[in-house]
Amino acid sequence: MLIEIIDVLISGLINGSVYALMAVGLTLIYGVSKAFNFAYGSFYSMGGYIAFLLFGTALINHYLLVFCLAIPLLLLFGFFIEKLLVAPLRKRDDWEIKVMMITLGLALFLDNSFQVVFGSRMKSLPPLLEGTFEAGEFILPYQDVAIFILSIGGILLFRWFLNNTRTGMSVRAVAQNPAGAQIVGIPKEFVFAATFAISTVMVGMGGILLAQKYFITPTGGWDILVKAWVITAFGGMGSIKGSLYAAFIVGLLEAFVGWYFGMTWTLIALFAVLLTTLAVRPQGLMGKWG
Amino acid sequence: MIKVEGLNAYYGDFHVLKDVCLKVGKGQVVVMLGPNGHGKSTLLKSVCGLVDRVTGSILYNDENIAGLKAEKLVNQGITYIAENRELFGEMTVLENLKLGAYSRSARPFEKKNLEKVFSLFPRLKDRRPQLASTLSGGEARMLAIARGLMSNASFLAIDEPSLGLQPNLRDEVANIIRQINSQGMTILVVEQNIPQIIELADTIYVLEEGQISFEGSKEDALSNDHLKEIFLGM
Repeated sequence: MLIEIIDVLISGLINGSVYALMAVGLTLIYGVSKAFNFAYGSFYSMGGYIAFLLFGTALINHYLLVFCLAIPLLLLFGFFIEKLLVAPLRKRDDWEIKVMMITLGLALFLDNSFQVVFGSRMKSLPPLLEGTFEAGEFILPYQDVAIFILSIGGILLFRWFLNNTRTGMSVRAVAQNPAGAQIVGIPKEFVFAATFAISTVMVGMGGILLAQKYFITPTGGWDILVKAWVITAFGGMGSIKGSLYAAFIVGLLEAFVGWYFGMTWTLIALFAVLLTTLAVRPQGLMGKWG
Repeated sequence: MIKVEGLNAYYGDFHVLKDVCLKVGKGQVVVMLGPNGHGKSTLLKSVCGLVDRVTGSILYNDENIAGLKAEKLVNQGITYIAENRELFGEMTVLENLKLGAYSRSARPFEKKNLEKVFSLFPRLKDRRPQLASTLSGGEARMLAIARGLMSNASFLAIDEPSLGLQPNLRDEVANIIRQINSQGMTILVVEQNIPQIIELADTIYVLEEGQISFEGSKEDALSNDHLKEIFLGM
């Protein structure tokens, strides 16, 4: 029983860490540009498919190489999608709604493209690391440890970037005061595209990390979009710290509800928690509304 | 240094500035007066590349800069200091100042300008690690001016520096403006609540309904009864 609870706890923490990485990305776009990206889940699937494709080529057989190629690809993809689809809308009235519509369209386009190119069968990725750590009844796959470390590492790296680099500071400046950012000469358009690109990498990495455990399917991203959105709203739109806490709460909740009541109950439980939180605290756990 | 000719500015369909002409010579202080809501801020913002739709010409050292964005102009030495300050509230005073030196041309001078700014505003030096949102109104105003100076500008457009300031701090603002002007800074300032700033003016303009309705020296302005009554409150 105790071992079982520990297992559930660890699985919750591991999923929570990946959720955190992805939710921080989603809240980043919202915090900086007030845009909501409906294609976020499809970018998750895309991460998985990129890794799947790379492993399919004979030359690449190590995750290190996959990351080295997938990260720049995702970064470029995110940057150009922002420049081509999102940026032109920003000059219009009601652009936030238009961005939602166009990213929704992009999501459907991507998902159907995945279906055509890869078929509707599930795809899997090899584990990051083989082997397990065993202590009596307690078993911990090294793969899980690696996923946890990479997710947390990604978040810490991102935090370092925000606080210690010039571009990171300009990202925070635009999020806090777009008019002030313009005054000091920060190129706002570039910052919007750069944050979109960074968030694409975060969710795409999430896709690569979780695909080892949960497979890749053409429409698998919707589940992730919903979860990332729940975490973002639960933590407080635009609050990175809030997203972090919320991601671990959601990861643990999911694990314990799934274990105790069955997996079908997890999404229901998530929404119950979200609705209750929003009813009591509309701005989310640590949110700054608006 | 700055020569504006036939400048028109629009917010959407709203025609704010109508054929505005104005000149600011190198090292001068030019004061812009006028009723609120008649386009003074828009004029300053247009010169600094912060208004999307402008027509006409703005010559800066004989180069037309009309339509260029702030990110380019800050780099060339033109900086706007906003009336509502537009600070980064959740960053420290020091971070705000560092962001003031964001432009490529200001980066090499960041250290030097930081020292300069701290000697002008010793209180900001003490408040370095404090979040900008926790500053008092006066300190926040000083930070906004200091952040503008960090850009290594040669031309400053200062928008209503007295806004939200206690009367005793107005002298301080006037002193600062005098000091930076005496070090060679060219200044275009919108301000009608600080008589000492009007004292510094080489030229005074009045903007009414988006058009220049008066241009002259401070002596001309002070001898103009209409102006005196309405704007200078004397």
